Amino acid sequence: MNISGVLVRSYPNNLATVRACLEGLAGVEVHGANPDGRLVVTVEDENERAMADTVVTMQNLPGVLSASMIYHQYEEEPDLEETL
Amino acid sequence: MKLTRREFIKSNAIAATAVAAGVTIPGISPVLAKSKDAIRWDKAPCRFCGTGCSVLVGTKDGRVVATQGDPDAPVNRGLNCIKGYFLSKIMYGDDRLTTPLLRMKNGKYDKEGDFAEVSWDQAFDVMEEKWKAAIKKDLERNKGLPPEELTSSVGMFGSGQWTIWEGYAASKLYKGGFRSNHLDPNARHCMASAVGAFMRGFGADEPMGCYDDLEHADVFVLWGANMAEMHPILWSRLTDTRLTKEGCEVHVLSTFEHRCFELGDNNMVFTPQTDLAILNYIANYIIQNKAYNEDFIGKHVNFTKTPTDIGYGLRPEHPLEQQAKNPGKGKLSKISFEEYAKSVEPYTLEYASELSGVPADQLERLAKVYADPDKKVSSYWTMGFNQHTRGVWANGLTYNVHLLMGKISEPGNSPFSLTGQPSACGTAREVGTFSHRLPADLVVKKKEHRDYAEQVWKLPAGTIPGKVGYHAVLQNRMLKDGKLNAYWVMCNNNMQAAANMNEETLPGYRNPDNFIVVSDPYPTVTAQAADLILPTAMWTEKEGAYGNAERRTQFWRQQVKAPGEARSDVWQLVEFSKRFKAEEVWPEELLAKKPEYRGKTLYDILYRNGQVDEFPKQKVTDAAGNVYDNDEMEDFGFYLQKGLFEEYRIFGTQGPKKGHDLGEFDSYHKTRGLRWPVVDGKETLWRYREGYDPFVAAGEDVKFYGKPDGRASIIFAPYEPPAESPDEEYDLWLSTGRVLEHWHSGSMTRRVPELYRAFPDAVIFMHPDDAKARGLRRGLSAKVVSRRGDITARIETRGRNRPPRGLIFVPWFDASRLINKVTLDATDPLSKETDYKKCAVKVVKA
Repeated sequence: MNISGVLVRSYPNNLATVRACLEGLAGVEVHGANPDGRLVVTVEDENERAMADTVVTMQNLPGVLSASMIYHQYEEEPDLEETL
Repeated sequence: MKLTRREFIKSNAIAATAVAAGVTIPGISPVLAKSKDAIRWDKAPCRFCGTGCSVLVGTKDGRVVATQGDPDAPVNRGLNCIKGYFLSKIMYGDDRLTTPLLRMKNGKYDKEGDFAEVSWDQAFDVMEEKWKAAIKKDLERNKGLPPEELTSSVGMFGSGQWTIWEGYAASKLYKGGFRSNHLDPNARHCMASAVGAFMRGFGADEPMGCYDDLEHADVFVLWGANMAEMHPILWSRLTDTRLTKEGCEVHVLSTFEHRCFELGDNNMVFTPQTDLAILNYIANYIIQNKAYNEDFIGKHVNFTKTPTDIGYGLRPEHPLEQQAKNPGKGKLSKISFEEYAKSVEPYTLEYASELSGVPADQLERLAKVYADPDKKVSSYWTMGFNQHTRGVWANGLTYNVHLLMGKISEPGNSPFSLTGQPSACGTAREVGTFSHRLPADLVVKKKEHRDYAEQVWKLPAGTIPGKVGYHAVLQNRMLKDGKLNAYWVMCNNNMQAAANMNEETLPGYRNPDNFIVVSDPYPTVTAQAADLILPTAMWTEKEGAYGNAERRTQFWRQQVKAPGEARSDVWQLVEFSKRFKAEEVWPEELLAKKPEYRGKTLYDILYRNGQVDEFPKQKVTDAAGNVYDNDEMEDFGFYLQKGLFEEYRIFGTQGPKKGHDLGEFDSYHKTRGLRWPVVDGKETLWRYREGYDPFVAAGEDVKFYGKPDGRASIIFAPYEPPAESPDEEYDLWLSTGRVLEHWHSGSMTRRVPELYRAFPDAVIFMHPDDAKARGLRRGLSAKVVSRRGDITARIETRGRNRPPRGLIFVPWFDASRLINKVTLDATDPLSKETDYKKCAVKVVKA
């Protein structure tokens, strides 16, 4: 299981549209945004969709200028739901 | 609040991303992200491109499980590109090589045999036998010859992905030990033209500016660089400047439309090769409008011209070489400013526009920003200029424009050659693993440079051969011709990377006269064509150092163990040197000059010389007290990496070429890298300018001290046509290159299953009308055919790359669709770098 934090950059005037498009992608959540066009996004693996597919799709969305990986961690599935 | 591990990891991801985005997210505290759930974090430069991003590598139970963009890194400021995500996975591909593999029949080496597992001892036994047989012949042939006339039949193809000490150890072993200059790096394929132009223009390699220019410039011009896909982090810095700085503009030039066009303010698609004419037009515009900086060119510039009609670096019997008037010639002759002005005069706006196909108003807009003294301009280029049969010229023509305006060596005014490999600069160029070079810009052709290297290396005078060795393309030709017989390929995938593999590379490797060794972590196309495969420790499985495109040297510690019997490149080189006694590789007259070396091995002479073995075995720790492995130190009993680096550093701090100083070994483990020259622990951001560069004295203003008179060269070079252009039968241009999510030949990135699905196969990017005209459409399978070979792939008429009519683009990462069966091995005759961007093909239904 892969979990990533991704910084997506858009033109400020496209922020709302880009946010909506991102939220439509499986495994993708938007957690916040800077009015200057930067969005805080996480991506989790989904069965049908590899993470890289999702990130490349994000990068190629209209209005997206770049998508940067900030954080990535891999964890074996069974351990994930364990309470800390 | 109870937290599952999933939520915990996600909070870490959000916290780190929020910092990079400059926002606060309620309920997510960055403090949480600091408590790392038993993960040990340490810095390392990324394994992929030449940007040199720093990554925090998270290790748990002896395995890399996490990575994070390094928030303290000046290069990437907490960001990573999508390839950064694969860093934690590249070491764990299912087909990782863990034991040496030798082609065998009936329990013995046989070139026609199948690969079978052997021990390192057995592997080195066969290698030793083949190397000694070749060297014996060399000794016989070279009897009584001076260093300038020595020839050799042993060689090596190295890498811009080698760590600094790996390149240095290889250079010593080949040039100082085996007396062979047939050592060349794969950086020949990507950076040689840039190097050639730096040496001709400035007498010293590598850029004068640095990445800080990405914030200082008002205008960015991209020449043959798709930064959005190939250097995404630099692109995001550039994007920030474009979006936040009033009046900032981005100009993009390319032979097809790509992702950078999304941000571009002036997007220009030009006919291949006509960049030469466009650059001369800009120079002409500057002169016609008297916009040039008279004071600057009067004090700091010489005007010169280069010989023309120089051929295309093909085999001498090729008709194009036979027709060339001055094949391979590059000696500059001085001209006056007036003569230079006259030379560029034919490059009018009309002519440049007609030749290039770029509308005149767009070209003029571009010329104006260069000519405006109040606009700071940074120009960026990569393979579009370098992989060019006139690559040295193209690089140089860009310097001409910057030099005419004095827009150089100061914040924001920066002609900048980007690199494709993580240590093309640090290892291939600075260490000098090219067939003509020695460390710190020294060259084998100059006796005083060889003398100096021999003195540092404590070798008998006259050990290093004086003749330039075989360069990358020539190595393949010489393998085929049977002149290079014992050959070691390390840390690259040249079977896939070199042009014209059908006619040159493959026949060379399979020539029965030759023994081919390939060291790699994975069974690449190249490994599979070898006779012996050696399994290699990669990236953070060893202690390492890389040097990026802005002269930044960065170190990392060993984080994890390599799998099975895999060993680092530096271990392989140094261990193999134990197999050779001085008497077996050197003639008696050389030994007589240093009789104390009799009976000694190359290991004793090169690596136990009192310098390389100066630092005893010790514990490697970080500031937090974490302890790290160093498998080479364990094995050899001394701090090999430190010893090699400290000896190498002597070339920069005391050598004949000024301004190549590196800092002390230990300082690099404490910093996020330092940009050389490093003097008194201080790095240099802009070279050649007073106030920034410690080698320019007060009152000197600007001094290009790589040249004896302190002046840079403006070099006139005309437009000349490419080696091959579309004709009636082969009616399309073929350009090759990379894509965002695969790095180079894909030997690492394609090992990651998730990534493999993202971009499974190479496709043919084509204009929809060109497809239609051939009865093809998107998704259909088609054949790309040249005079040399063909491949089959699917047609793509949409997507990120949009070629104009008459040109196709095919990425080269796909080992099952080897586009280099199709490409031509025409090179820049000056730099010997192949032009992968232009040849003639046709596309037909498969």
